[in-house]
Amino acid sequence: MNAVLLAAATAALFRIVPLACSGDRLAVAGAGVLRLADGVSCAAIAPGRPIAISLDADNRATPHAVVPDALPAAKIPRAAYVIAPAVEADADETQQVTTTIDVFVPPRTPPGDDVYVSTERSGWSPSELRMNRIDARHFQLAMKLHRGARLAFRVTRGSFGTIERDSARALPPAHIAAGEPDAHVRVDVAAWADID
Amino acid sequence: MARRLATLLGCVAVLVPAVASARATVALDGGSLTFFADTLAIVARGGATVALADGTRAHADAAFVDLRADRAVLAGNAHVAHAGNAIDADAIVIDLDGPRVDVLDAASGVTETTRALGAPKAAAFDAARFAFPDVDDRNAFIRSKRARITPHADVRFVPASFPTSVGGVPVPSYLYTYATAVGFSATSLPGSTFDQPYGLWGSPTSLTALHARWEDGPGPALGLQQQLVSGDTAYASASLDAPIHGYSVRSFNAYRRMGARYTIEADGTDTIYGALAHVGMTAAFGPAGGRLDYTRTSAGASSFTATLRSPDRPLLAGATYRVSASAGFDAQRGGLLGALPDRSAYATVWRHAVDVSVASPTIRVPFGATLTATLDGSRTWYDFPHHADALSGAAQLSKTLIARGGAPRLALFAGYLGTWNADVYPTAQTLFYPTPITPLILPDGTPYYGYAAFSGAQTFRAVNVDLQYTPNINTTLRMSVIHTSDFPQYDGFGRPMWAVRGDARFRPFPNIGLDIGREYDFAWGGTRWLPRWNFAISP
Repeated sequence: MNAVLLAAATAALFRIVPLACSGDRLAVAGAGVLRLADGVSCAAIAPGRPIAISLDADNRATPHAVVPDALPAAKIPRAAYVIAPAVEADADETQQVTTTIDVFVPPRTPPGDDVYVSTERSGWSPSELRMNRIDARHFQLAMKLHRGARLAFRVTRGSFGTIERDSARALPPAHIAAGEPDAHVRVDVAAWADID
Repeated sequence: MARRLATLLGCVAVLVPAVASARATVALDGGSLTFFADTLAIVARGGATVALADGTRAHADAAFVDLRADRAVLAGNAHVAHAGNAIDADAIVIDLDGPRVDVLDAASGVTETTRALGAPKAAAFDAARFAFPDVDDRNAFIRSKRARITPHADVRFVPASFPTSVGGVPVPSYLYTYATAVGFSATSLPGSTFDQPYGLWGSPTSLTALHARWEDGPGPALGLQQQLVSGDTAYASASLDAPIHGYSVRSFNAYRRMGARYTIEADGTDTIYGALAHVGMTAAFGPAGGRLDYTRTSAGASSFTATLRSPDRPLLAGATYRVSASAGFDAQRGGLLGALPDRSAYATVWRHAVDVSVASPTIRVPFGATLTATLDGSRTWYDFPHHADALSGAAQLSKTLIARGGAPRLALFAGYLGTWNADVYPTAQTLFYPTPITPLILPDGTPYYGYAAFSGAQTFRAVNVDLQYTPNINTTLRMSVIHTSDFPQYDGFGRPMWAVRGDARFRPFPNIGLDIGREYDFAWGGTRWLPRWNFAISP
């Protein structure tokens, strides 16, 4: 019985980032403006610091400490907002998601060479992240990104002299790994800078 | 030669247009700043102030600067002022590369105005603009107090620490470049085991960076590199690499794309042993292509090669083949063919070559394994009675032993690479490859009698077996055993007969990844084994 009550209470909690709190109004980042429950003050609410809230029968908000299984702000009923968003925000960036990069290399890639992902995060170090080998021509790297992230990357064999080239043997623009749940990016390397 | 290199660098630099410096246009200060590299988000807490180059000033309890969207969100007791006008609100959104300002009053709604803060007009609540990321500060890449932002280019943090679960490493200032143009990933520094750049000055089209490096051989080194960039179409990079123990290396490289079909490139290196410069051009003709390369050294050597290659053509059963042909010359001041008494008559030797390459598709073989193979053969003819043949074949077998979620957790790889080269002088083989009168002495002091059988033909064979274990997304362990069987394979001069490598890639902290490798070469160079470390840090 207690477990059921606890589950019900937890299900009513929403994890939000307060944008501002004044009077009886609570602005929720990426969502809308809620009304605070009677007797609740803004004293414990710091803009930008995540909190959990519960909604009473009148859809008025009461702040709580953050709990791991609180629902995202996107789950707050639209009817609860006194100022509802006209344009919805993208999915909230609360969690890290797994993005997988699959790289297929040309047949004349030197056997045994490792393949790397180079990103702006390391100042484009050409050997930043070594990919896992799936087979001789298929490499894969799974990485955690914040939801909504857009990480630019390039593919190398460990040095700038072995960076990927496009079919015209020119340097291609950076690829983008998107921070979306179970996102996959496929890169077909047409050629390498040091081959052909 | 150094002067020529400098001249060439100057000539190439003018190929990179629109090189200009840019000054930071946004200043963000806060009680604490945290920067997240993958989302390019800066979160300011404990009071935040934003100052823009046009005189706009704003402050709030907290702020979020989205570098990708060029937008600042001021949250809680927000205030913005410009040229005598001011607005107070619960939250304010300021476009950093445009005039738009959104104002949220939780009691009355949203209004929209401009940085001039003229009469506001009612607007819809665009939740995407009033976003503030829900991030864990412990996962931050950089922690700081002040940020100076040049939109679309870089952000300088003063000071900057790189937090981990056990503390941080502070530096007085750190420049993070997030421009993605290809030239920013170009480097003219020589290869290294470890390279940590430290940006000194930057703009949307340039970056000057100091590099802390560890090089295989010399050990610790400092590098200085200047990059000039024009989008994805052109760059020039010049660098100085100075090992603590060893000689310095001055290098440059440059690149420019000429339309959809052509690229031109240039690079050069200057050391105490001399200088080398190279220019090249590639051309694409549909799926076929060609290239021109010219190389010259300060020792009086030069070479030129013009190459044409066919596209990959289907052969049979999914296999493809490709043919390439080249022509060019090798030249050496004083003569190329040192074994000849009249070598000076051969200062330039022309050559032409044909190369045929066949590649298999990925073939499924019994026991759930896959097999790929390539075969390559070439012959080069010289205008002196001389030709060189090369034949190589490679095969790689891959087998997933344990899979999880479609990705291999434990995988086994085996490979074979065999190469045979022959350098043939039909009328003068013994002149160019004479039988030694006394046996070759190896580094460990023992004689190598087998070398007497070497008459220009070499064989290289390598077999490798790799085991790769990926227990989770952040960890990969790999063990490799490599055996080579070459002729000539002289202990200490050729490849080691046995090598064992192990490396581990893991994330000890949420924001730091490590790749540590250990390699042993056995019975080589007169030693029982020769250990080496490899080390890399990733964000």
